[in-house]
Amino acid sequence: MAEHGGGGRGDLGDKAREEFFSEAQELIDGLGRDLLAVDAVAKGGRTDPELINDVFRAVHTLKGLAGLFGATLMSGLSHELEDVLDDLRLGRLEMSPAVLDLLFRAVELYAQILAAERGDRPDEPGADVKALLHALGQVSQRREGGGVSPVAQYELDPGLLGVLTEYEEYRLRTNIAQGVSLFRIRVQFRLDTIDSALDELKARARPHGEIITYLPTGEGGDADSIELEILLASHASLSVLEAALGGSYAAIEEVQRRGARSKPPPPPISAVDEQEGEPFGDMTGAVPAITGETSSFPQAVPIPESKAGELPLPVVWGREPPTTGTTSTAPSEVPPPIPDFARISRGRPTDVDDILKSMPPPIPPVEKQPSYPPGAAVGGGGREMSLRSVSQTVRVDIRKLDHLMNIVGELAIVRTSLAKLSDKVRARPEARGLANELYRLHRVFERNLAQMQNGILEVRMVPLGQAFDKLARIVRQISREHDKQVNLVVTGAETEIDKLIVEELSDPLMHMIRNAIDHGIEPREERMRVGKPTVGTIALNAFQKGNHVVIEVEDDGAGMNTQVLINSAVRRGLLTREQAMELAPHEILGLVFLPGFTTRGEATDLSGRGVGMDIVKTNISRMGGIIDISSEVGIGTKMTITLPITLAVISVLVIEIVGRTYAIPLASVEEAIVFDERDVRAVEDREVMNQRGRTLPICRLWKLFGLTHEGPPPPKRFVVIAAVGNRKLGFVVDRLVGQQDIVIKALGKSLSHVRGFAGATELGDQRVALVLDVAALVEEVLSGDGERLLEGRGAGALEMRTEGRLGDGRARA
Amino acid sequence: MAALVRRRAEQRALRRAADGQRTEYLAFSLAGEIYAVEIHSIGEILKPPPITEVPRAASSIIGVVSVRGRLVTVIDLRKRFGVKDAPIGHLTRILLVDKGDEKLGLLVDEVLQVYRLTENEIEPANVLGGDQPAHIHGIGRPKEGTGRPDFGSLLVLLDLRPILDG
Repeated sequence: MAEHGGGGRGDLGDKAREEFFSEAQELIDGLGRDLLAVDAVAKGGRTDPELINDVFRAVHTLKGLAGLFGATLMSGLSHELEDVLDDLRLGRLEMSPAVLDLLFRAVELYAQILAAERGDRPDEPGADVKALLHALGQVSQRREGGGVSPVAQYELDPGLLGVLTEYEEYRLRTNIAQGVSLFRIRVQFRLDTIDSALDELKARARPHGEIITYLPTGEGGDADSIELEILLASHASLSVLEAALGGSYAAIEEVQRRGARSKPPPPPISAVDEQEGEPFGDMTGAVPAITGETSSFPQAVPIPESKAGELPLPVVWGREPPTTGTTSTAPSEVPPPIPDFARISRGRPTDVDDILKSMPPPIPPVEKQPSYPPGAAVGGGGREMSLRSVSQTVRVDIRKLDHLMNIVGELAIVRTSLAKLSDKVRARPEARGLANELYRLHRVFERNLAQMQNGILEVRMVPLGQAFDKLARIVRQISREHDKQVNLVVTGAETEIDKLIVEELSDPLMHMIRNAIDHGIEPREERMRVGKPTVGTIALNAFQKGNHVVIEVEDDGAGMNTQVLINSAVRRGLLTREQAMELAPHEILGLVFLPGFTTRGEATDLSGRGVGMDIVKTNISRMGGIIDISSEVGIGTKMTITLPITLAVISVLVIEIVGRTYAIPLASVEEAIVFDERDVRAVEDREVMNQRGRTLPICRLWKLFGLTHEGPPPPKRFVVIAAVGNRKLGFVVDRLVGQQDIVIKALGKSLSHVRGFAGATELGDQRVALVLDVAALVEEVLSGDGERLLEGRGAGALEMRTEGRLGDGRARA
Repeated sequence: MAALVRRRAEQRALRRAADGQRTEYLAFSLAGEIYAVEIHSIGEILKPPPITEVPRAASSIIGVVSVRGRLVTVIDLRKRFGVKDAPIGHLTRILLVDKGDEKLGLLVDEVLQVYRLTENEIEPANVLGGDQPAHIHGIGRPKEGTGRPDFGSLLVLLDLRPILDG
């Protein structure tokens, strides 16, 4: 434990390196999210320059970080990516699925490089990076030449055009090519507030279009202010823009097309533009246009002269949003509800979702982007430039939280002793005053401790979306590799769960989704033949259920054929035909969890190597969770994972068997009833009892544990009914001691092969009590057949179940 | 009295100077034998707290204890060496050793003393004959007084690695 306390004073180099890892990891995660957004937009046939810019920025930052820490492979990759991304945002290269594939691949390699840097992997993926760099190099060579410039059609000041950067010019061309109208806005800014005012203007303009550039006009300003000319590309009509930009301080005009009548305008130009095309055909950029539309609008904006020292009025683009000045807009021209962009870009954490939603055409519901807590938004974050940090969060090593939790655990022990002491004192009539005081103190202590415990637990919780993000990438990649169209529909990404569980979940979920795509979803022709939509659907649902989080992975594929499962298992020698005949339907489905099980004759890249589902099961069990399968041929397969919300502190029922104390996690306890030997019946070689008309299998723990009663058995026993998923089992125990919150600690490695225990805990009197692994015990007792088969083969996978319970960073570290 | 203390200090200093390479061993008794392990491998010596047995664990694992909030698996060395059980008495101790990925406790009958052995006080294990168990790495014959004449002065020097892994 002391090693955690020292964590804060560690070597600075190590600490900086840790920071590097977590920052790089966040950037990589953010990169993945941005790419998904780019992908979603690209599917809609468009590109969003801001998103590509975000990706570019993330890669650029990574390059800097990597350089700082000597991660040469990472900086090399970043460098090449920058080139490709630069081409993409300058339009020299088209955002094709193939290019996106390379970018996604890069995210994957980043993660691998990072893992290698951290020492989690033995080697850097040098060869893979080389291959990708080569592919990227080829892509950049195939860039398109610059398109024919349609810019000349517009009445734009050649002086202005002359100073556009390559990027700005490209954006201008793109917008024109897409038939977006151009607007010229003149605004006076006070020099001392120009940064924030300009940002605010950008924020207001963004829902309606894209600011191509802004340049000082060189006129209209005095010593304290400056006039800028802003070139805005927008689908919106002039009046809408006027309303949106807050009116009276900005003069807006549409940039006219040269000889507008001779060349038919590209389709989406609004009707208003057409009407106004003619009379001001030879306006120059320097003079604001006054049209019928804008005449109700005070255009030559008189800026109140403010001399130095005078009380400054809110001259331009003040902080308060304008409440008037929008009245000139005809109601019919008010656009449909516009997302509140000012809010988003004000620097608060931004939902990727919001950004996606704000883009004009609806995004196909491919990947639902989860929301993130403040600080989690990387890359997709605020569009404004500000030195002020957007997030109010701190990054904390989870081991520090574990350490705090350990202290809380020890305090809980103190609390228990206090309670006992308090009871003792109360038993003495002469010390009543003292007893009351002690009791009160104890209650206060108890309440604060509970709050502290909850507080720490809350900090450990993160949204499952962190794991789901990566899955969306996997789905995209696998479905492309496999030429199957798959829609991933995510619900409940905001469901929170212990950080450690989220980390451990990624791999099992990835296996399950791979399996769903490979084995579940049928090839396109097959789906058409049976009348299913050609695009398969994989639903990833998460929700909270009491003290548990349930995660479902459901596909609308072919389902599992029990006969095929049995044949494969028999062929692989996992069980005999006779044994197979005796399996119940759900046990047949459970065969997929046996190590070495596969229905494939030959391994594919994706799955079918017979590793996967057994590891999935082992990993889930290690977290104290269970996995169930249901499947219907032709309809689909659903796998359900049930996990505890947190691994750190659990409520347990303390019981006694043959004088030994054990703890049973309350999360899996349904009820405890008095045991009556007369209720017990033997069915085959299992004992069952009648529980209010239902048959309940029971387990005499002392028999299972090989303990013998010395002396007579207790006169009265109890049955603790445990429920795991849809399976129930009654544990016969000698005594119920009580309920308690405990910090669970992992058993050491030398006990890792011992089944049935999730860990151990201290109960207050320095005694250690073992915590039962109910899921494992239920499995062992109820699914005896499958397990015995495994034991016969000496398979280690399932025996690993009790090893190093995740609950325990403390004990592991 | 003061003179005596001084003389002792001088002797000790002299001895240290003459030492050259000396290794410190902690000696303990187990079923009538004296064993010794290099002292730097022992983290702590504990009076046994209540030990919680772990059903279905290997027979040489006597159970788990908590040492200041940390779980420690305790190995009964008597069982590991295949000698007869003995109840935990008031001299019984647990030697805490670090196995890298976990802390283990070794239950011994009694902790005796520290020996500082030079190279020529240690004989290799093969003096006992060809087939010695891997956990014996030598025999110690301290030339200085043991302080415990009843045990003689022959130490079985243990290599902990095979014991912890076994």
